[in-house]
Amino acid sequence: MLRGAIAIFQRDFKKFLSNPFILIMTLAMPIMYLLVFGNAIGGTITGIPIGVIQEQPYITETPLYLTGVDSLINFHNQPDKPALFVVTRFTDEKIAAGALSDGRIAAYVVFPSKIAPDRNIRLYLDSSDYMVPALIQSGVTAAVTGIGVTNSILVNAIYGTIDYLQYFGVGVIVMAIFSTTMFGGGLALIRDREMGIIEGYFVTPVKRSSIILGTIGSGTVRAFLAGFIIFLVDIFIAGVIVRSATDFFLVLLVLFMTSIGVTSLVVSLASRFSSQQEYSSVIAFFNLFLFMTSGAFYPTLGMPSWLRWIIVINPEAYAIHALRSIILRGQGINVIGIDLIALVIFSFGAIMLGIMSYRRTLE
Amino acid sequence: MDSCMAQTWDRIIGRIISSGRMYDAILKAIMGETPRDVVARQTVAAPDDTIIRIEHLTKTFCGRRTVTAVNDVTFDVKRGEIFGLLGPNGAGKSTLIRILTTLMKPTSGTAFLDNYEVTRDDERVRSIIGVCPQNSTLDIELTAYDNLAFYGKLVNVEESLLDTRIWELLAMTELTDRAHSKVATLSGGMRRKLEIVRAFIHHPLILFLDEPTIGLDPEARHEVWQQISMLNTEHTTIILTTHYMDEAEKLCERIAFIDQGRLISLDTPENLKRVMPAGELFELGYDTFNDGVLPVIRSHELVISVEQKEGKIQIAAQNGSNLLPTLITDFSRFGMTATSVSIRVPSLEDVFLYLTGKKFGHNDADVIDPKKRFS
Repeated sequence: MLRGAIAIFQRDFKKFLSNPFILIMTLAMPIMYLLVFGNAIGGTITGIPIGVIQEQPYITETPLYLTGVDSLINFHNQPDKPALFVVTRFTDEKIAAGALSDGRIAAYVVFPSKIAPDRNIRLYLDSSDYMVPALIQSGVTAAVTGIGVTNSILVNAIYGTIDYLQYFGVGVIVMAIFSTTMFGGGLALIRDREMGIIEGYFVTPVKRSSIILGTIGSGTVRAFLAGFIIFLVDIFIAGVIVRSATDFFLVLLVLFMTSIGVTSLVVSLASRFSSQQEYSSVIAFFNLFLFMTSGAFYPTLGMPSWLRWIIVINPEAYAIHALRSIILRGQGINVIGIDLIALVIFSFGAIMLGIMSYRRTLE
Repeated sequence: MDSCMAQTWDRIIGRIISSGRMYDAILKAIMGETPRDVVARQTVAAPDDTIIRIEHLTKTFCGRRTVTAVNDVTFDVKRGEIFGLLGPNGAGKSTLIRILTTLMKPTSGTAFLDNYEVTRDDERVRSIIGVCPQNSTLDIELTAYDNLAFYGKLVNVEESLLDTRIWELLAMTELTDRAHSKVATLSGGMRRKLEIVRAFIHHPLILFLDEPTIGLDPEARHEVWQQISMLNTEHTTIILTTHYMDEAEKLCERIAFIDQGRLISLDTPENLKRVMPAGELFELGYDTFNDGVLPVIRSHELVISVEQKEGKIQIAAQNGSNLLPTLITDFSRFGMTATSVSIRVPSLEDVFLYLTGKKFGHNDADVIDPKKRFS
C-alpha cells in the first residue's frame, strides 16, 4: 500500500521540481499577496486633495480662514504618517466646484466671509469614493473644532449616498472582463492548440489573418458580454443609476475597449505558453495583481508611493476610473478622456502584441 | 550542421521575401496574375495523370540533435489512385504529409499538388486538399453536425449546399441518428469516420489520411476501409500513411516504402512482393541448436537467406515445399529435431523486412501486430 503512495508522491514531486517556472510562480504568488495585497488594501489614506475658499464678498482673509486652512494643512490622522490633506487655495467658489466635479479635488471647504462670520462652514464632498469621504468629513471636523471654532459644518455629498456595493460593483465589471478572458479565453486557446484544432485550421484555405481576427473577435465579444451582464446586475441589483443615453454608450465604449485590449493581451500570453499549467500560474498572478492595484476594492490613495507606479500602467485602473466617473459621478469625456487615451494605447499595444505572438505560433 | 545554418538563413530570407509576397498580392489584385504565377505555370507542365509530383524533398530538423526526417524523396502520385506511404513509426511519413499539406516548409526540394507548388501557392494547395491528421482535431465539445458545419465553412463549402452535404456525409458514416450528439460521446471508430468525411466535405482533389485506423478495433477498421474505398470512387486521390501492412495491401493501388526518411521502394503491392526473390518463408522450431547447421542450409541452391532468431530458424527459399525434406535431414545430421514447421507466402511486411533488414515498430511499444489481430 505504502509503496504505491510513495510512487505517486515521487512522481508528483519530480514533476513539481522539474518545472522551475511553475516553482517560481508558486512562490511568487504568496509573496505578492504579502507585499501587494497588504499594501494596496487597507493602507493608511493620506494626501487627499481638497480645496479651501473664503465666501464672497471677499474683503480680507479672516482669522478663521487663516487658522482653519493652517489647521487643515497640518492635520494628521496618525502622528507618524504624512498629513491627511493636500490643500489647494481657491479664490472663486465656481472654480472649486469645477475642480471637484472634474475629480481634481475630493472636497472643498467654504469658510464664511468677514461680513457674516457666524455662517456655517460648508463642506462639499465627492461622495463616490470609498472611505475617503468619511475621512474627509471627520478630518475637517476635527481640524476645525481643534482651533476652537464654533461654526457648525454643513456637509454636501455632491453625488448623494453611494453604497460600498455600488462602488465595488463598478470595479467588478472590469474584473469580470479580465477574469472571463484570462481564465476562459486563454485556457480555451491553449486547449485548442493542444487538441490540434488550431493546426486543423492551417490545412484549410482560411487565411492566417482570419484566424487571428476570429479568435480575438470571439474573445472580445465574450469579455464584453461578461462586463455588460455585471453592468446590468449593478443597475438592477446594486442600484447604480445611469443618467443619460450618452452615459450608457460611454460605458459600452469603455467596456469594448477594455475587452479588446485584454483579449489581445491574453491571446499573446496564451501564444507564449505551451502548457495550461504554466499559463494558469502566470495568469492567476496577473489577474490578482492588476485587480488589487486597480482601486476596485479600496482607494488607490491608500497605496504606498512605491506601489503607485502600478496604477499608471495598470489598464484595469483606467477602466475602473472611467466607469466610476461615468456611472457614479456622471462625469463626461472631459474627465474620462485621459482614461480613454490610456485604454486606446493599451488596446492598440495589446492587439499588436497579440497579432504578432499569435501569428508566430501559426507559422 | 550546414543544413541547419541554411535553414536559419532560409527563415531570414523568407521573412524578406514575404514582403515580396505582399507585393505579389497587390499585383494579383490588379492584374489577376503575377509574373511569378506565370513562371510557376510554365515550369510545372506535368503529365495529366500525375496529381502530386515530389522532387528531391528533404526536411532537416535542427536542434540538439540534427534529424533528417525526409531525405531526398522523389516520386509521383497518379490521379485517382489510393497511394500508400508505408513505414515504421518515425520513418518520416507524417513529416512528408505535413510538407505536402503546407504545414511545414521543406529544407530543400519541392512538391507540386495539381501543379501548385507547396511553398509558393500554399493557399491554393490548401483549397484542393482535405486532411485527416493522425491525432484527432475534432472539437469534442461540439456535436457531430456542428463539427462538420464548422469545417465546411472553413473550407468554403457553399452555404446553400452545406446542410445537404453534412447529412449526406452523416448518412455515409451511419451517424445520422447521432448528428446532434457531442463528439465526446462518440466511440473512437465513429470519431475517426467522422473526421475522415469531414476532410472530404468540400470534395477535395486530394485527400490525406494520416494513420486513419490507428488504435481502432478490427470491426471499426473494416468500416473505415470501406469508407476510404467509397471516397475513392468519387475520383479523389487518396494519400494514406500507415504502418499496418495489411491495411496498405488491402487498400492501396501503389505503395511507397519509407524508412529513415528515405524512399526505399515504390510499386503496386503485387510487384513489391515479386521483388522478394523468395516464393516462401519457413520457420523451423528446434529443441537443441548446433551452429554447424546454418552454413549447410545456406549452401542449398534454393535458399536465399537464413536467420536464427528466438529459438527458430527463419529461411527464405524458392519452392520451399521441395526443400522441406532436405532441411529435416540437415537438422538430424547435426543432432537437431524440428519441433515445429511453418510455411507461408510472403506478406508486405516480409518484403519490408527484406528491403530494410529491420522489423516494424521496434522502438514503439504500442504497435499492434495486425496479423495477431486478424488471425
